[in-house]
Amino acid sequence: MATILTKRLNKELREMQTHGLPTGITIVRADDLSEWLLSVEVLGNTLYEGEKFCLRFEFPHNYPIDSPAVTFVADDKWTAPVHPHVYSNGHICASILGPEWSPVLSVVSVCLTLQSMLASCTSKQRPPDNDKYVSHAPRNPKNTRFHYDDDTV
Amino acid sequence: MKVTVKQWHAVAYWRWDTGAPGDQDANADEDAEEDVCGICRVSFEGCCPTCKMPGDDCPLIWGQCTHVFHMHCLLKWLNTASSKQQCPMDRRPWITAERKVDR
Repeated sequence: MATILTKRLNKELREMQTHGLPTGITIVRADDLSEWLLSVEVLGNTLYEGEKFCLRFEFPHNYPIDSPAVTFVADDKWTAPVHPHVYSNGHICASILGPEWSPVLSVVSVCLTLQSMLASCTSKQRPPDNDKYVSHAPRNPKNTRFHYDDDTV
Repeated sequence: MKVTVKQWHAVAYWRWDTGAPGDQDANADEDAEEDVCGICRVSFEGCCPTCKMPGDDCPLIWGQCTHVFHMHCLLKWLNTASSKQQCPMDRRPWITAERKVDR
């Protein structure tokens, strides 16, 4: 069962290396098949101009049938973007990472979706329940049952 | 016994009739890169990651929505609760298309 993960991720990596990555997205680390780090910048005239964030992808053993766990890295080097759908611990409330995941999505397409989520942001603020959530959040955001109630932000 | 292949001479090759416009085209190899299963990203003529040999044992499956996948890849997806029995491409309810063999 591990083969689908191995083959698919090797293929994604090879495609990134041969065809290049979309503007603003770079590989920080992808040297094993359990965890990848990619940096995301939002280019152009947006609220996040000049900021750079890091996304951590953790792959379940049957990726891409199961969704990867995707979080913004929040440590002493990186901070999570201030956004109504991003908690300060890096957890992201985005339906494609939960019930709307599809196995035809990929690491690059998730990066692009989150990049455009940031690009279209009109007000830099944390989710209203940030402090409450962060103090009780499970380590893996896939164990959180998010409410997807606001498609406009 | 160890066999070393010194040379080989291809006389024919096969491909699935995916109904794509390039299918009848002799130069379809140019577009072959596009003809991959969206789930595993392996070409349709290759097999899904759990099979060893391409061919009838690892067939393709067509939906009424016209999307095509390796059958084994799609079944793995449909067997999960999170699939909600939807096509991975367009999230419409998956209905396997009847294919008539007319050639």
